[in-house]
Amino acid sequence: MSNLDLSKVSLRPFKLTDADDFLLWAGDDRVTQNLRWKTCGSREEALAFIREVCIPHPWRRSICLHDRSIGFVSVYPWSGDDRCKADIGYALAADYWGHSIATKAVKMAVPQVFKDLPHLLRLQAFTSPENKASQRVLEKAGFLKEGVLRKYTYIKGNIKDSVVFSFLSTDEFPHDDC
Amino acid sequence: MMERDREESVDLAQISFRTLELSDVDDVLVWTSDEKVAKFCSWEPHSSKDQGIDFIQNKASEFLWGKAICLNDRPIGFISMTSATDKSREKSAELGYVLGSKYWSKGIMSHVVKQVMKVAFSEFPHLDRLEALVDVENVGSQKVLEKAGFQREGVLRKYLVRRGKSRDMVIFSVLSTDL
Repeated sequence: MSNLDLSKVSLRPFKLTDADDFLLWAGDDRVTQNLRWKTCGSREEALAFIREVCIPHPWRRSICLHDRSIGFVSVYPWSGDDRCKADIGYALAADYWGHSIATKAVKMAVPQVFKDLPHLLRLQAFTSPENKASQRVLEKAGFLKEGVLRKYTYIKGNIKDSVVFSFLSTDEFPHDDC
Repeated sequence: MMERDREESVDLAQISFRTLELSDVDDVLVWTSDEKVAKFCSWEPHSSKDQGIDFIQNKASEFLWGKAICLNDRPIGFISMTSATDKSREKSAELGYVLGSKYWSKGIMSHVVKQVMKVAFSEFPHLDRLEALVDVENVGSQKVLEKAGFQREGVLRKYLVRRGKSRDMVIFSVLSTDL
């Protein structure tokens, strides 16, 4: 995959027809280990998850390569008085790691999110301290690391520290040299 | 009158915690109507007794744990813990507190926070983390938490909007394993 063409990476809403591709990465523990998502176990589960969660979601996009789903980017806005902030999350099929695809996806998502969510001032992301690759995605996408929150998250039976990053509506987008 | 009050030191042994009663409303209004106190809070200063009654009857019971801070059994402030709704945050609680301005700078609040930290982890053994968010400009409150043994973890930029303005907040935490 040494000649992966990043111009063929795109973001679009999920479709039911993504189910088989979805299962390939959402069915992989390596991909879901840091997510709240349960690892997807069957085509039926994939269809249900796309129909009931991905499609109605306030802001979720499939990361696509040649229009085939290889991951996701999600933004979950807080509500009421807290709608100035939103949480961004993402994951990518393990076979496609190491090619700056997630960085490209996040860089494409951020300006679109600020356009789509007019009250948004702060986009925040939480990564595991061991997940250096994910931290690099955020740094390359122009997020600022703000600190390490101790025992912040309880996921899949494990209490973990979280590294918190943010991108503000007033921050500058980084130059495009993925 | 103000200067004499400020010179009085407080016997910390006279500090206690209890549930607020309706009969406390006049004492509650002393701090809720004070602009200096409300400055870093999410609410506008109270201007009527009804607002004090509403706080005692409705808001004070919404917390995971919330008690009046009393001096000789008279309320001079309030301290609370809130739990997050998100399942992934169920082992954390957020600390909030407020004290009448006449009682500031006497070591009362850090004494209170130290006691509540112990209560938090003993009464709620599922909790691993107690956190607090303080406005970057609220240096007095940051000192309270540092003196009480909280660790400063970072500044969350434009974390919330208060009275129409976005605010940067310093986040602090203490873990059950820190005690």
